[in-house]
Amino acid sequence: MITDRLGKYAVLLFVVMFFAYLFGPLIIMSITAFNSADFPRVSPWDCFSVEWFDVLVNDDKLMDGLRNSLIIGIGVVALSVPIGLAGALMLMQISPRVRPWYYTIVVSPILIPGVVLGISTLIFWDRLGAMFNANYESIFYDGIFLTIVGQTTFISAYSMLVFISRLQRFDPALEEAALDLGASHVQTFRKILLPFLKPAIGSAAVLAFLASFENYNTTVFTITSESTLTTVLASKVRYGINPSISALAVTIVVLTLFAAAIMEIKKRRTDAFEKAISKAVIEGTDALSKLGRKSNRLIDPAFAMIIVIFLAGLGTAYYSGTVGVDECKTSVKEAKKLETQRRVDERRKKQMFEGAQPGTQQAAPNTTAPSTGKAKGTEGYQGIFAPTNLESQVKGDSGAANDAATDDAPAKGTEGYQGIFAPTNLESQVKGEESSN
Amino acid sequence: MSADVRLENVWIKFGSFVAAREIELTIKGGEFFSFLGPSGCGKTTILRAVSGFLKPSEGNILIGGKDMAGIGPNRRPTALIFQNLALFPLMTVWENITFALEVKGVNATERRKKADELLELIALPGQGEKMVGELSGGQRQRVAIARALAAEPEVLLLDEPLSALDLKLRQHMRTELRSIQRRVGITFIYITHDQGEALTMSDNVAVMRDGVIEQVGDGTTIYDAPGSPFVASFVGENNLFRGTVESVDNGMATVTTTVGTLLAKTPVTASNPLKVGDTAYVFQRPESLRFAKPDNQINRIKATIVNEEFEGNFWQVYFEVPGSTKPVKMSMVNDGSSSERRRGEVVELVCEPELSVALAEGPLAAE
Amino acid sequence: MALYNYLKNFFTRNGVFLSVFLLGVVGFWIFFLIILPQIFMFDFSFRFNLPPAEQGGPNDVYTISHYKFLLFGSALSEDSYNVIDLTVFLRTIVTAVFVTLFDFIICYPIAYYLAQVAKGGWARLMVLSLIVPFWVNEILRAFAFRIIFGSNGVINDALMAMGIVDDPYPFIRENIALYAGLGYAFVLLMIFPLYNAVESLDKNQIEAARDLGSPWWRIHWRVVMPFAKPGISSGCTMVFMLSAGALAAPQILGGPSSLWFTQIIYQWFNTGGNWPRGSAYAIVLLITSIVFVLLVMKIFKVKLGEIAR
Repeated sequence: MITDRLGKYAVLLFVVMFFAYLFGPLIIMSITAFNSADFPRVSPWDCFSVEWFDVLVNDDKLMDGLRNSLIIGIGVVALSVPIGLAGALMLMQISPRVRPWYYTIVVSPILIPGVVLGISTLIFWDRLGAMFNANYESIFYDGIFLTIVGQTTFISAYSMLVFISRLQRFDPALEEAALDLGASHVQTFRKILLPFLKPAIGSAAVLAFLASFENYNTTVFTITSESTLTTVLASKVRYGINPSISALAVTIVVLTLFAAAIMEIKKRRTDAFEKAISKAVIEGTDALSKLGRKSNRLIDPAFAMIIVIFLAGLGTAYYSGTVGVDECKTSVKEAKKLETQRRVDERRKKQMFEGAQPGTQQAAPNTTAPSTGKAKGTEGYQGIFAPTNLESQVKGDSGAANDAATDDAPAKGTEGYQGIFAPTNLESQVKGEESSN
Repeated sequence: MSADVRLENVWIKFGSFVAAREIELTIKGGEFFSFLGPSGCGKTTILRAVSGFLKPSEGNILIGGKDMAGIGPNRRPTALIFQNLALFPLMTVWENITFALEVKGVNATERRKKADELLELIALPGQGEKMVGELSGGQRQRVAIARALAAEPEVLLLDEPLSALDLKLRQHMRTELRSIQRRVGITFIYITHDQGEALTMSDNVAVMRDGVIEQVGDGTTIYDAPGSPFVASFVGENNLFRGTVESVDNGMATVTTTVGTLLAKTPVTASNPLKVGDTAYVFQRPESLRFAKPDNQINRIKATIVNEEFEGNFWQVYFEVPGSTKPVKMSMVNDGSSSERRRGEVVELVCEPELSVALAEGPLAAE
Repeated sequence: MALYNYLKNFFTRNGVFLSVFLLGVVGFWIFFLIILPQIFMFDFSFRFNLPPAEQGGPNDVYTISHYKFLLFGSALSEDSYNVIDLTVFLRTIVTAVFVTLFDFIICYPIAYYLAQVAKGGWARLMVLSLIVPFWVNEILRAFAFRIIFGSNGVINDALMAMGIVDDPYPFIRENIALYAGLGYAFVLLMIFPLYNAVESLDKNQIEAARDLGSPWWRIHWRVVMPFAKPGISSGCTMVFMLSAGALAAPQILGGPSSLWFTQIIYQWFNTGGNWPRGSAYAIVLLITSIVFVLLVMKIFKVKLGEIAR
């Protein structure tokens, strides 16, 4: 009995540690975004401030990279979704003898290291350009074009996997039924297969965009003289770091949480709707419309609440981060000055004492900044408006939503956006995002 | 409106596997025709060949006298109702029903009108706006029929469409299908492994085994005068006794079986005529058996009662008969006489020679 | 003839428009995006590093000098082997193996816990929350580790506040930050395949094994792990490939004196300005990856489709 309980606690401890490992770095990084110190750090805490968000928005290089990333992302979506769709449809039709070969070829870009894909794309188009005697302004040497092409190589494979998993649930009898009723092949494709694949098209597009947006390994080779968000970030991080990057991370984390909450709500809604339908069918009543309305009403307020909390939190955080920052900073500066003064005095005293052996006692340079100079005034704010709090609020909300959802919603495949947030889809999702490697 | 369907020497092969061999068959226009057989006998293969999803390896399929070779499923005057119905899940009921018109380019108002007519026909008026997923099993069934009829086919093909329904609904849908067929008057070709469905609905039934048509005939012929041991054992229940033919005379055969000498008719439909000295089966249906009376001279079988099952309108009585490995079954109408029988009692049974069937030995249906 | 028949069937099945679309798009993908670039890179790796003007000229002949360089180093060096690059290569592979093992060890219990032990809303919330770190890009995640492990990062602050160390411990120079960051970066690529595989295991099998008196470790060894084999091989392959091919994390978290193999490739392409040599190194990385995947397929007896899902 005792060992049983011990085992249980050990498992729980392990789970807690795992999630700490997972979230700790993000939380710490998020906190540093709100510290006015020039270097991203939690301690010593200078002042609560949102100035790094301003720095972020005003960083031209970063914004330029962001613009390129968006263009590339759109280009990659436009290419890789049709390619993935065609690749998946082809797989369903190809003769069984060729199928393993075909599959190996089209799936291989997922397993080929990203740097290799980037290099081969770069060289291929470079050589092709040389063959056509193209000049350096031409498309063969255009960083944006090359990046789109290079990323499309493997992102198409992700979107193909999304389509394959959807197609596996397709009943081929539907296609036959349409043909049998006189539809042509093109009509069958347009009226039956495409509508069925629509959710998969949506999730493949989202996946492709995210994978493209996050990619680094391939992009760094193909981008040549241009830049994307990731390449700018990488060079920034390599050559000196400042908290505006933390601010970017906070933005992404908050957007993610927000998106996750919306998806969860959407999923709950479709689940509730499906349940209402099956109930109506079983009871053979017209209760459906009533139930449908009810579930709508149940969910809308929750949805509105999340938005309100989110905006309110954002507003207050921003407000508190701009008001009184200057005074706080001045006081911190003063405190620092005092601290430095104190140290200098101390050193002087020591040197006077140990005047016989000069140079042996080196003051530790700038390793620890003063902790005594912490501005007391901000502490009150911190507790309430710290980003972690905001986060946990949002999280708590979606968490509550989850708890309620599991009561009445069996984890059935939703039709909505194919559950970008559904655990079964995560794998491909995750691969997509890690594609940069 | 209705067309006859001819299959001329049709063979369908998948690699070395022969799914249908030498099918020679004419289905008359306006007929309710069923293919009956166990799963894997090739009946669905034939249906898919008629609808155009499969190309026969050999032979021709003619619909309304026209050869269908090279004509795709979307240009044949047939409509298929799938086993799982294959209703389009993302469309409403009326969109489903009028899909055939939509692909022809008929405008929406006209399609709505047609949909309303057909909804009336299948007794689902006013349900057009629902999604397919909101319907019950029987309702879906009817929508599938309406969808197929909207294509105005000359031949309607049905691939076990009732198999997913529960017993009661299935029985109800049988009557309904039959009445719809009479109203629209087109040819129905129906695939089933359920003999009850085949016998109640069809004008004619083809019984299939291993890609071959064993017998074609109306329900009573199939049941009362089976042409082969397979048909006899697959359609309805039978007690079976094996033996050697002693004599064949005037449509009656005398067979010495393990339970004694039995006299039985030899049906004209039989695929293999009986000869003296052949090994033969004698089939006696449970409802043809009864307790022997003193004046019964022939076909008497000595038996011991081993079990009785009460089914309300019927009693099923099981006997142990020396020489028969399996218990012999007798069905008798419940006339309140049960108290006269006891388990273990030795009795004598009899089956009239006209109700006994003798057929040359051949493959039987799996139990 | 067979091809002609196949194409004819293909065209009747799909109609002209769709057939052309499918063949064209898939053909473009396979040839212009996948196969030809690899062939060109392969070809390029056997050529001298020539200025553009001389390319295609009389001096543009094949050579294996770049592969030789990886093995033996420059003719001027005193070592008989290219110790630096080969060491980096080996260290990359070995470290990637350890990162894979580390991730497997920490992820397997979590995947099992989430899939079989945790119940209801909590399990769902935890699975959902696993994704959040994933939407944060790889570079930012590496950045977070730099904040934590930096000389005045959280950990050093804590250690010094507790008086364990007097001076900041050089986590970055000792590559500890890199290992932790790599492990972190690919944790979820390990956990989701494992989770999906373990989740589909029938609880009754575990209970049956327990009922038959099997100790917990044997249940995992004999029941759960064999069942989750495709997930395990998929997760391990992905983590290994991604860590061996990682570039951002080593660039950001790597110590100044230690390189990752991808960084050498990167250098040949950028500061080094020797593309053919970079290509040769990339080919080596590619072949290593292929060999690794084939090994996994052989050892675990899984199909490619089970690895790349």
